[in-house]
Amino acid sequence: MASASTSSSSGNPAERRGIPAASFVEDVQTYLIQSGFDANSALAFLQERLQQYKIAEMKLLAQQRDLQAKIPDIEKCLGIVSTIQAKKGTGEDLIADFEVSEGIYSRARIEDSNSVCLWLGANVMLEYSCEEANELLKKNLENAKASLEVLIADLQFLRDQVTITQVTTARVYNWDVHQRRIKQTT
Amino acid sequence: MQQQKGSGSEVEVTWEDQLNINKFGRLNNRFHELEDDIKIAKENNDNLEDASNELILSEEDIVRFQIGEVFVHLPREEVESRLENMKEDAIKELEKLEEEKESVLSQMAELKKILYGKFKDSINLEED
Repeated sequence: MASASTSSSSGNPAERRGIPAASFVEDVQTYLIQSGFDANSALAFLQERLQQYKIAEMKLLAQQRDLQAKIPDIEKCLGIVSTIQAKKGTGEDLIADFEVSEGIYSRARIEDSNSVCLWLGANVMLEYSCEEANELLKKNLENAKASLEVLIADLQFLRDQVTITQVTTARVYNWDVHQRRIKQTT
Repeated sequence: MQQQKGSGSEVEVTWEDQLNINKFGRLNNRFHELEDDIKIAKENNDNLEDASNELILSEEDIVRFQIGEVFVHLPREEVESRLENMKEDAIKELEKLEEEKESVLSQMAELKKILYGKFKDSINLEED
């Protein structure tokens, strides 16, 4: 893939987490001469870049969806743990209706307890004291939120590169049209 | 958002212009996300309002209140205060989203002025 040398644009990293940055073109003519492209092959190269960006975007969006589903789940768990902790020491049992099967509910009596079991995934469930469970869940929540922030920044970077590539495509196309017009009139 | 340039246009695009175009793109995306979030926040507010009303109408002492995946039996007063807190949070959330939406819209209007000023017909910043 011919690398086009253009003047470096301040503030745009050359790549981010495997996503190549789109080089900004100061002048279309210079860009085409330096890269050895003619208008058509430049347009083809830019189109290919757009496709690659599209694929990267789908991946990131899927990851974002997963994270956005995870966060409310963790918050629900924290809610339950704090409810159980609040009941501790009152001597009362916690009574809850839960779903046995779709549309069928049954009643459960949760006795005063110091511990809860947390599902860690991969068919593993561990028993934790309420305090430890709180710690673990809070840490998981923070990690999920931090990952989501990084992911959103990645997506923004990606979309910027797509925009730059689209604008460059339009400019190369216009330059080409302009050249043809000049040739026709001479 | 479309970006078309008129054929044969002579206006040069500087890095600063590109940054403005990028920023407009980001703001536009954020605007659509906010519209979706605001819709969800409004529904949430409505649901909490409905729940409050149902609670007032019902006369039970023990109310089944959803926490996580189960319905916990809680005394009426506790459910009332929990609902009040949830409603307060929901209203604040909605206000925050609406404020951000206003800010995004005004930033977009500023950028439109700048970009249309320089590129006139060569650029299109309207929704499809």
